[in-house]
Amino acid sequence: MRTTWAALIVLALWPARGSAQAPDPAAAFAGDVHASAGLTCAACHASQRPGSYSAPPRTAIAPLCATCHSDAAYMRRFDPQVRVDQFLQYQTSTHGRRMAAGETRVATCTDCHGAHGITRVRDARAPVAPLNVTTTCARCHADPARMQPHGRTATPPADWAASVHAAALLERGDTSAPTCAACHGSHGATPPGVTSVANVCAQCHLREAELFRASPKKDIFDAIGQPECLVCHNNHRIEPPSDHWVGVQEGAVCAQCHDASGDSAKTIGTMRQALDGLAAAVAAADVSVARAERAGMLVDDGRLALRAAREQQVQARVLVHAFAAEPFAAAAADGAASAQRALDAGEAASRELQVRRTGLGVATLLIIAFLVTLWIKVQRLPDLPPP
Amino acid sequence: MRSGRIRGWLDERLPIGDVIETLRHKTVPHHRYSLWYYFGGMTLFLFGIQVGTGALLLLYYRPSAAEAYESVQFIVTRVPFGWLVRSIHAWSANLMVASAVAHLFSVLFLHAYRRPRELTWLSGVLLLLLTLAFGFTGYLLPWNEVSFFATRVGTDIAAAVPLIGRGIVRFMRGGDDVTGATLTRLFGFHVAVLPAVATGLVALHLLLVQRHGMSVPPSVERRAAGDPAAVRAMPFIPHFLLRDLFAWTLVLAVLAALSTFYPWELGTKADPFAPAPAGIRPEWYFLWAFETLKHVPPAVAGINGELVAVAVMAAGALVALLLPFLAGHTPRTRRVVVWAGGAALVFMAIMTGLALSAVAP
Amino acid sequence: MHPVDPRISAPGRRSVLNWLLGLWGGGVCGAVLYPVARYLAPPDVPEAATQSVLAGSAQSLVPNSGRVVPFGSRPAIVIRTAGGDLRAFSATCTHLDCTVQYRPDLQRIWCACHNGQYDLTGRNVAGPPPRPLEAFDVNVNDDQIALSRRS
Repeated sequence: MRTTWAALIVLALWPARGSAQAPDPAAAFAGDVHASAGLTCAACHASQRPGSYSAPPRTAIAPLCATCHSDAAYMRRFDPQVRVDQFLQYQTSTHGRRMAAGETRVATCTDCHGAHGITRVRDARAPVAPLNVTTTCARCHADPARMQPHGRTATPPADWAASVHAAALLERGDTSAPTCAACHGSHGATPPGVTSVANVCAQCHLREAELFRASPKKDIFDAIGQPECLVCHNNHRIEPPSDHWVGVQEGAVCAQCHDASGDSAKTIGTMRQALDGLAAAVAAADVSVARAERAGMLVDDGRLALRAAREQQVQARVLVHAFAAEPFAAAAADGAASAQRALDAGEAASRELQVRRTGLGVATLLIIAFLVTLWIKVQRLPDLPPP
Repeated sequence: MRSGRIRGWLDERLPIGDVIETLRHKTVPHHRYSLWYYFGGMTLFLFGIQVGTGALLLLYYRPSAAEAYESVQFIVTRVPFGWLVRSIHAWSANLMVASAVAHLFSVLFLHAYRRPRELTWLSGVLLLLLTLAFGFTGYLLPWNEVSFFATRVGTDIAAAVPLIGRGIVRFMRGGDDVTGATLTRLFGFHVAVLPAVATGLVALHLLLVQRHGMSVPPSVERRAAGDPAAVRAMPFIPHFLLRDLFAWTLVLAVLAALSTFYPWELGTKADPFAPAPAGIRPEWYFLWAFETLKHVPPAVAGINGELVAVAVMAAGALVALLLPFLAGHTPRTRRVVVWAGGAALVFMAIMTGLALSAVAP
Repeated sequence: MHPVDPRISAPGRRSVLNWLLGLWGGGVCGAVLYPVARYLAPPDVPEAATQSVLAGSAQSLVPNSGRVVPFGSRPAIVIRTAGGDLRAFSATCTHLDCTVQYRPDLQRIWCACHNGQYDLTGRNVAGPPPRPLEAFDVNVNDDQIALSRRS
């Protein structure tokens, strides 16, 4: 009888659940990290009777989790190094502020971490494990119906999925690649402000950030209120940059602000020329080395020089962020020199191949002359004696 | 004349005069099949090429897992004409196996194994097995991916032998698996043990050939009874020798051309921890055995299929070895030998063809 | 040496033939011996730099500085710490294969590509690199630094 009532209550309160968990909480809890820490259902469902547990109201969930997870002395027992500022951060986040204002259709703890089968963040099955974070965020942030009432688009997750960071994470398994949480924060999730977005990128792209800040662009961008990296690179759909972004013609990124008149156009043009020239030199060197290798020559010197050329090409592309002719020109020149060395090695190998074939030709001619003379001599030997 | 005095001085001390005198009178039978006589000398010539290029390679090669691949790369890229020496060594190995097989089958079909040449045949078959051993041991030495896995697969086959199989595998590998120890061991076999045995056997083989002269096939002998012109005597010097020289120089040109247009590849360095790439197979002269093992059912009359196949091949080798003692002297038994030899040749050719077509992309 | 056979053409023609044979035969022998002679002469670089390589002068590597040198087909970095020790590592970053460099201001090995950092034992301590740098043995002979792989 009691079980039937419990079931009816659960069914009645079913729509109020905030998280997408397996329908059987008790079974899921068996694998929960809280269970292995010795906690039971009563730890969270304290005010309810066993057998008739229901989900707490959504605005109460975060404070409930915080009763333990913000208590440093308590948490230290389970993990000496664990952080205890998650609730503080949550309160500063967009999710937390809106929840505090009474909007319950924003994320709270259980939406991302689960309610009953919670595993550690580093467990690969966790919804907040690096490889799963974007799927978890996308549950709401890729849903136009959910985003529209908040005045947001639902495109960022799809944009991110088309980015180089997604490719690094999902195709190459590089877990250092940024997901939503890396740039927006996890508990304190908020879009970075215009002036601070570059700090986020600078976590990994330090060199580009340093160059940019030392360049004339920093002050200009601050003055016109434009975010640093995003203007050229986008925030979510970060695609592999291309040499043709540099330029003042239609379709180039610099053309957003620069036009063909003025000194800057000349500098931009020079840089673009150098980049194109370098790319062409590297490609030509690659063709030359590969051709020699296909013909059977080993061109390890050429491969080494090609590797150096490619690294220097990357350096030159990075130095574009100085937005000045000089350091860029030196790197581009280095790259061109390495590419030239590689090309020379490939050409030398092909020439060596020709030398070998010529040498073979000479030796073969000598041998043929010898064989012909020998054949004549054999023919002119006395006939075999009669049997 | 100065040369005459030198010749006199040497003749007093060394039996050169006797040797030359013997050779001046030596003749070689000339008949419709005598073209096949050249294959023995060809095999010897290619063996000489192997010894020469092998000695040159030894000056730069390093037989350890850490350095073998790099030393071959060094030879092929940095040593002047190193590419030529290495490619000739690799190509000549293949030509030598082909020449040795042609030599064996021509002797078989022309019945040159019969009395009194049984020991010549015996030493010859052993030399062929030695040649295959040279090929197998030498194949690992560049320590590249293909040769590493081919050696592992090849030595695995010995494990099928009952009782002593594991022991044989451990002996060949210098341990339980193919490692740097295997490389050093096979190197030792390839440059010291096998050449020593081969030198002895070649010396014996040549001595016996010199002692007994060239054999005339029974059919030619029969024809000569009626028509004396069927067999003529060709002086060894200069007729046969100059023709030999012609063939050897031609093969030298072929080797040089092969090395220039189809240089032997370096491959990628062996990584014992990487998974075996698809399509691992041994050199072409082992392919027929490899393919046969693939087609053998898992069990034949309750016995492990691979073991049965290995046993049959071993039995075949034994029959080949003891052929002069097993074959009779009548035309009928000789026909059996010809048919059996032909069948073996066709079988090996078909198996090799199957193996090659399976790997073709 | 041979019995003279009257059917052979006149001695003059035969000796021309022999002379030609000797000429071409000598040419073939030369074509064989020339590569062998060149092969036997030691090449300019006497051995492959696989196991060890020279890395320049020890004196000119001042404390708190580093130098990148080629080691086989990949770069290596040799560092003199502020305390005067010599250390050497593979200079290929374990993240995405960029070549690392020594940062005297950080006293760490740094990768410019994504701000990865390694400490002076080669351990990856900051940024994306997932693994430490491979360490090499360093020896100094006559002011020449020699790096060698650890077996």
